[in-house]
Amino acid sequence: MVEVIVVGGGHAGCEAASAAARMGARVLLITSSLDTIGQMSCNPAIGGVAKGTVVREIDAFGGIMARAADRSTIQFRMLNRSKGPAVWAPRAQCDRTIYRRAVRRLLEENDNIMLLQGTVAALKLRGDKAIGVTTVDGRELAADAVILTAGTFLRGKIHIGTETRIPGGRAGDPAAVDIAEQLEALGLEVDRFKTGTPPRVDGRTVDFSKLERQDGEMPEYRFSHFERVPRPEQRPCWITWAGEEVKEIIRQNLKASALYGGAISGRGPRYCPSVEDKVVKFPDAERHQIFLEPEGLDTCELYVNGLSTSLPVEVQLRFLAAVPGLERARMTRPGYAIEYDYYPPHQLTPWLEVKAIERLFFAGQINGTTGYEEAAAQGVLAGINAVRRARGEEPVMLGRDTAYIGVLVDDLVTRGVDEPYRLFTSRAEFRLLLRQDNALKRLGPLARELGMLRSHEVEILQRRLEEEERLLESSRTTRVSPDQANGWLELWGERPLQEPTRIAELVRRPRVRLRELLRASGVELALGDLEEALMSVEIELKYEGYLERERQAARKLSEMANFRLPVDLPYLEFKSLSTEARQKLDRIRPQSLAQAGRIPGVSPSDLQNLVLEVLKRRRQVA
Amino acid sequence: MLTDVIAAVATPPGRSAIALIRVSGRGCHAVAAKVLQPFNPQPYRRARRAKAVDPRTGEILDQVLYTVFAAPASYTGEDMVEIGTHGGLLVPAGVLAALFAAGARQAAPGEFTRRAVLNGKLDLIQAEAVADVIDAATPAQRRAALRQLDRGLSRRIEQLREQVLELEALVSYDIDFPEEDSGPVPPQRVEAAATALLEALRGLLATAADGEKLREGALVVIAGRPNAGKSSLFNALLGSERAIVTEIPGTTRDAIEAMASCGGFPFRLVDTAGLRESEDRVEKLGIEVSRRYLRAADLVLFCVEAGRDLEPEEKRFVEELGDRVLIVRTKADLVPIDELPPPEAAELWVSALSGTGLDRLRDRLAERAFSGLAGGGDLAELVTRERHRLALERALEEVESFVRARREGIEAAVAATHLRAAVAALEELIGVVSTEDILDRVFSTFCVGK
Repeated sequence: MVEVIVVGGGHAGCEAASAAARMGARVLLITSSLDTIGQMSCNPAIGGVAKGTVVREIDAFGGIMARAADRSTIQFRMLNRSKGPAVWAPRAQCDRTIYRRAVRRLLEENDNIMLLQGTVAALKLRGDKAIGVTTVDGRELAADAVILTAGTFLRGKIHIGTETRIPGGRAGDPAAVDIAEQLEALGLEVDRFKTGTPPRVDGRTVDFSKLERQDGEMPEYRFSHFERVPRPEQRPCWITWAGEEVKEIIRQNLKASALYGGAISGRGPRYCPSVEDKVVKFPDAERHQIFLEPEGLDTCELYVNGLSTSLPVEVQLRFLAAVPGLERARMTRPGYAIEYDYYPPHQLTPWLEVKAIERLFFAGQINGTTGYEEAAAQGVLAGINAVRRARGEEPVMLGRDTAYIGVLVDDLVTRGVDEPYRLFTSRAEFRLLLRQDNALKRLGPLARELGMLRSHEVEILQRRLEEEERLLESSRTTRVSPDQANGWLELWGERPLQEPTRIAELVRRPRVRLRELLRASGVELALGDLEEALMSVEIELKYEGYLERERQAARKLSEMANFRLPVDLPYLEFKSLSTEARQKLDRIRPQSLAQAGRIPGVSPSDLQNLVLEVLKRRRQVA
Repeated sequence: MLTDVIAAVATPPGRSAIALIRVSGRGCHAVAAKVLQPFNPQPYRRARRAKAVDPRTGEILDQVLYTVFAAPASYTGEDMVEIGTHGGLLVPAGVLAALFAAGARQAAPGEFTRRAVLNGKLDLIQAEAVADVIDAATPAQRRAALRQLDRGLSRRIEQLREQVLELEALVSYDIDFPEEDSGPVPPQRVEAAATALLEALRGLLATAADGEKLREGALVVIAGRPNAGKSSLFNALLGSERAIVTEIPGTTRDAIEAMASCGGFPFRLVDTAGLRESEDRVEKLGIEVSRRYLRAADLVLFCVEAGRDLEPEEKRFVEELGDRVLIVRTKADLVPIDELPPPEAAELWVSALSGTGLDRLRDRLAERAFSGLAGGGDLAELVTRERHRLALERALEEVESFVRARREGIEAAVAATHLRAAVAALEELIGVVSTEDILDRVFSTFCVGK
């Protein structure tokens, strides 16, 4: 008997299937094409600012993304390296083919997962409860819970210029229409978003002598906490730019753009603008950077990152030729924009279940997000909770101070989205607590408790936690003598010591490094994958005061989060609340006071009155 | 409970032509309907006549004029009824009692305004301003309070909050978009933004001295040798405007302080002449004034009889006080006019007896004590309360810490926690935060999109 059906084999679907299977559920993953499971439809990279941390969070739950990225990394960079370890952001260029195959293989390694090729025509419902799906070829599949991860395939429409309009979920793949119509008929609110991709070029026709080469770094770094696979052969990226000539060509052809010609009505993201957008909104910028990213080891095709466009093919050819180094480049595929359905995510609970349809979960781009990592993160949470709900257990929610996954999902269900949603560190109130180095510490224990980690993974978690404990303890108790420390202090340009000083105290000075102090005072250091523990401990000690401040604020928030709000509150009757607050609360139906406070339009005074209304009701009930 | 029906007489008690009773809260229309006959709520906001009746006995209490308001279009943001009754002690109290019998309860002091704040009709600063408008004793106080009621100060603090967010956006941009066209934000740009912010915060804080002085009155202490005419000057300055004479806690009962309005500005005049010998006084100089008051004084009026030179010890006293002293030649009527200082001189002269010179002294007081405010008809935004000052000081402290942390080489994401704390301090004064605000700023400032 299948417990969970996952519809869709993208990044959300694969993580959902994996998470549910790790919880011990029998999972059926159904997708229109088994060959495109784990496909990277946009740029060939995993990670980045905030996103890289999410990859590590997914990995802490035993997920797939980190492992697949490690196996396919052909160029790696640690972004924000100069800005201090608290905001380090790992990002890997990945070989698309290796990545896709790795995902498929990781899924198949789990005996609880069955893969099935087919297109879902409809959800099977009993009352307001999802009990399975039917496929277009007439198969009836039953399950206790269904996770829908349809990505951009729901009524997807591809635009190249204003003339060309092809129904499709991704270049070359058909759109899903039937299920979109059923969901709308069920009364779910639906809206349209758009997103775009840039053209790709044949690397053999690129003049690399005019480009700046960008090699990878940190060969020892891995996303995954649980395995260390060798990296494949490494490839560089190349940097060039779009100057005045390119901008002029685009300016002259704006009318032919699907975006500006009026063919697309959906809203697009501000942070990933088309080159048309850049030219219009920032006319004074002299040039726009372009990164040529390798598509893989067995191809010379390059992804032209920075030139996302929906202009006609002929215009794309002309502006490409105006880019230094691409004068003679052959375009292998044109850029295009895609418009698709999403379901405004206020219709979901904080565990991603559709409020109107029990045991139906939505994860990924269908919820209005963008990015592989954002999709995968939702997949993990949906996978966990599909199983929890199917088994009649309490749903699992993640706090904003616990994980970027928590920030992401809370933003979605509480604030909603008005452009495709992407994570930024700025979205997190507690940026310093949510780091890539401490993802395992933050989430590993929960994953263990949920039964998602295998025994050797539990051991790794245990060792990591113990090592941090040991280093913290040593740093707090060990005093380093002037003899041991002053050589290093001089090197770092810090004042020398007069008397023995606790390491934990000394490391608060900005330029002082923990590793050298521990070594100088004879504390033994672990090597290999435990080295990261040292980094975590150094950050914890160095910024203890700051972190404590964030933790205090987080505790305050969790007090508010502990004030639960019944889901059936008659918000519209609460005359003491502003009209706007009443309507928003009625629509979103927050779980806690903390969540209510994050709804735009709900003021502190509304919150205060809400507390009084709830207390009054409690008294009436009692 | 915050939405139950409250009622209170809004006008002062005593003999008057009319009195106004306010009723507010959910269900207050139904409460009023039990007392007012006939009661027609709609159309709202129109005055109608009715009889006020005691719902228990049916006894007619008064002929009234009432106006009905529907939430949220009312002062409190709730359903409201305003009832104009005849004045006096008995009639309003009788109607109020009838309202209580019909289900209302006595409003606590300030409860109507409190509800207006809770319902988002006023922000906190505006609510404070309501009290200040009511309490205003001088034109300048009223003008400052009305400006605050008009959200002048609120807007100013909102601007400061925007500025902090702007600064945080620069830091966040660097963290969230490391590979963009415009490259990293130059440190000078962050420094310039921080400097501008610090200046703005300090600028507004600098008004706190004037602002608090304006709310509470500038402290003017009258000093001089025995018999120099201090008490006469004190009384002359108060004149008919003499408001309250208070006993100052911890001093002898002879030190008197009184509020006076000079040139439209509020002053607390203090005469310590009669203090007992035991008080810490400037005795060696033979000058009568308490040191404690001297320290706190915004201005010292130093009385010297007209037509005589200052004694050496008097000169020393004046020098010590520097620019906080104003020499006043008293008893001017005893001296020929050409022996008095000319109008343009730093010294002034008065005759408490005839009142000559008092107006010039008043104007001079206003000029000296409220130099930042006097003259110009329009008052700039002022920080008039300690609560405002403390929150602004906290915000300033956080921004200073941010600047220091950056100088010490503490990484940007860590230093930025100070900016978030600064925003929180400002928001405590007015509104709500959203991390979305920072991103909005990033996107409107930079072209991002690798």
